[in-house]
Amino acid sequence: MSQATQQERPDDEPRGAFTNWVDSAIKNPEKVYRAMFFVVVIFFLLTTLFPLYWLTMIALSDSNRVSEGVGLLPTGFDPGSFVEIFQQIPLHLYLFNSFVFATLTTIFVLIIASLAGYAFGRLQFRGKRTLLLTVLVISFFPPASFFIPLFQLFSQQISFLGLTPPELYSTPGGVVIPLSAIFMPLAIFILTTFYGQIPDGLEDAARIEGTTRLGALFRVIVPLSAPGVATAGILTFIAVYNEFFFSFLMTGAQAQDWAPIVDGIISYQSQFQIRYDLMAAASIVAVVPVAILVVVAQEKIVSGLTSGALKE
Amino acid sequence: MATITLQNIRKEYGSDVAIENMNLDIRDGEFVTLVGPSGCGKSTTIEMIAGLTKPTSGTIRIGERDVTALPPKDRGIAMVFQNIALFPHKDVYDNISFGLQLRDFDKAEMDRRVEEAADTVQLNGMLDRMPSEMSGGQRQRVAIARAIVREPDVFLMDEPLANLDAELRVHMRTQLQRLHSKLDTTIVYVTHDQAQAMTMSNRIAVINDGRLQQIDPPLTCYHEPANRFVAGFIGSPAMNFMRGEITPTGFESESGRVDVEFDPAAIGVSTGQDVTLGVRPEHVIPVENAVGEVTAPVETYTDVMEPMGDEIFVYLVTSRGETVDMEDPSASGQILMNVGPETPVEADQQLSVVFDKTNLHLFDADTEEALAHGLAEPVRVDTGTTSADAEAESDD
Repeated sequence: MSQATQQERPDDEPRGAFTNWVDSAIKNPEKVYRAMFFVVVIFFLLTTLFPLYWLTMIALSDSNRVSEGVGLLPTGFDPGSFVEIFQQIPLHLYLFNSFVFATLTTIFVLIIASLAGYAFGRLQFRGKRTLLLTVLVISFFPPASFFIPLFQLFSQQISFLGLTPPELYSTPGGVVIPLSAIFMPLAIFILTTFYGQIPDGLEDAARIEGTTRLGALFRVIVPLSAPGVATAGILTFIAVYNEFFFSFLMTGAQAQDWAPIVDGIISYQSQFQIRYDLMAAASIVAVVPVAILVVVAQEKIVSGLTSGALKE
Repeated sequence: MATITLQNIRKEYGSDVAIENMNLDIRDGEFVTLVGPSGCGKSTTIEMIAGLTKPTSGTIRIGERDVTALPPKDRGIAMVFQNIALFPHKDVYDNISFGLQLRDFDKAEMDRRVEEAADTVQLNGMLDRMPSEMSGGQRQRVAIARAIVREPDVFLMDEPLANLDAELRVHMRTQLQRLHSKLDTTIVYVTHDQAQAMTMSNRIAVINDGRLQQIDPPLTCYHEPANRFVAGFIGSPAMNFMRGEITPTGFESESGRVDVEFDPAAIGVSTGQDVTLGVRPEHVIPVENAVGEVTAPVETYTDVMEPMGDEIFVYLVTSRGETVDMEDPSASGQILMNVGPETPVEADQQLSVVFDKTNLHLFDADTEEALAHGLAEPVRVDTGTTSADAEAESDD
């Protein structure tokens, strides 16, 4: 008997369950990928959905017993906080303000980023790379670094050539303008990629048929880039809707002064008590518009729209 | 009236000159094909007529209007593209009526025009389909309908048949010819396929290296090519060329194996001048079939045979076992012969051939300009007047 045969494992030796599993996994890697997939998905679902679940439990708890601590089930049961949030303060107005900021910024960003995306994605001109990199570099600055000069500008503390700028503090402009600038680079990058992929022939055809370049952009290129435009739009909308820094500091604390949702939620905290159940309920209500938007927009995203456009 | 005039057009891309000194005069209702090898500038030319590209210098006129600075939408043109370029997010009706919608046509007029255009290209009943649901030929017909629905002054077609399969291409070729005779619109057509150019056009403009080589009716380009490039490009299979020089009695090839007798004085060439002799494959004849004015026999060996059914292509070499230069077969003595299917030729056999003297072409070896067409009764090519003028006179 040679040494090699001695080292071989006899076929009849009993094997452990783990060894069996490893053997079958090596033979059938699909199994492992599937297992990994579920592990990752469950992890993400837990980390994203659990806070929402716990928030709901807090909101449903009895306001007097919240301080006792809330576990996986509400402490006491009082769904009335979902009504009370609108009675204590005009929460709907705070929601409306945030919604206006997000909508205006999204419209603004999509229009301007479309023009920029067209230029960067479809035209050849000198300095294109440099310009694109500059846009990228600007987006690296922390937004807070722009705050003080912008605040002074918007509250008319600076005059330029003897002209005072209009007072934008406590108006949508004070929030929409800086946030548009901050979220513009991302939208420009997304749209540049999408617009750059639309075949030249389609734009040429539109121009021959009677549009200008601008007309071709909005009649042909943008509709065909619907997934990209929707992505850029949703990202901007959600980012602005969730934004805290500028929307909190550039506006007053009252709903009439264009205060955003954060101000509303904070105002459930008074000198004498903190209504955690109301805060939780208001937070859940605030999520609803965004959730609806994402669901609706997802249906609108029809990918593969260009299939059959051109014969390659 | 929609004539198209290009005057001294020049187009540069950076430091590359794509088009140089292009002068074209296209008459009203004419079907002109721009033909040339890939990258010769024919597409650039049609794009400049369309307005998609601006010339570096020169003037473009459509009708009486100077359109050099006008955007495409104001030029009264329609275009069919090589890649078809239908709008994938619009159905056939919206694709065809896109231009009309932009011009605020009223609904009834738009419906009537779309119906009529769809009728012309036989697309009835398909108006609510999406482009992705159609076959290549149907999409191409939608693209043509989109072009004719606006009743433009000028049609531009940039290789519209290049992406169709061979059978459909031949079919669409006849369709386009019918369309042209029906609409009577000026058509500028771009292709690299000389067969399309020969069959469809009133005149062919042969372009090479960004320069116009010749603009003439197809058969004139075939029988009286202006230079060696046109001679080699028009006609398939291509013309045979043999380098040689003028002797006191005619032409002698470099190899010394081909002799053509004629009077050099009659075509204004001098003894010792380097020239290229051109002969089309169908004018190379086995000596026993020779009729009419022919040259002295040339001893050759058959090399490769390509029987096509209705004809046979025979590759001849002037000496047995000679290696044929792949880059320039005619320089190493290869001659392509095109004979009828009954001709008794076999591979690897000695064969005497003669050239039909009335159909020989002589080109200057340096300038490559044509010196004479037909050496039976040599007629000198008068370089003073272009053949386009001669053709214009014969029109009257």
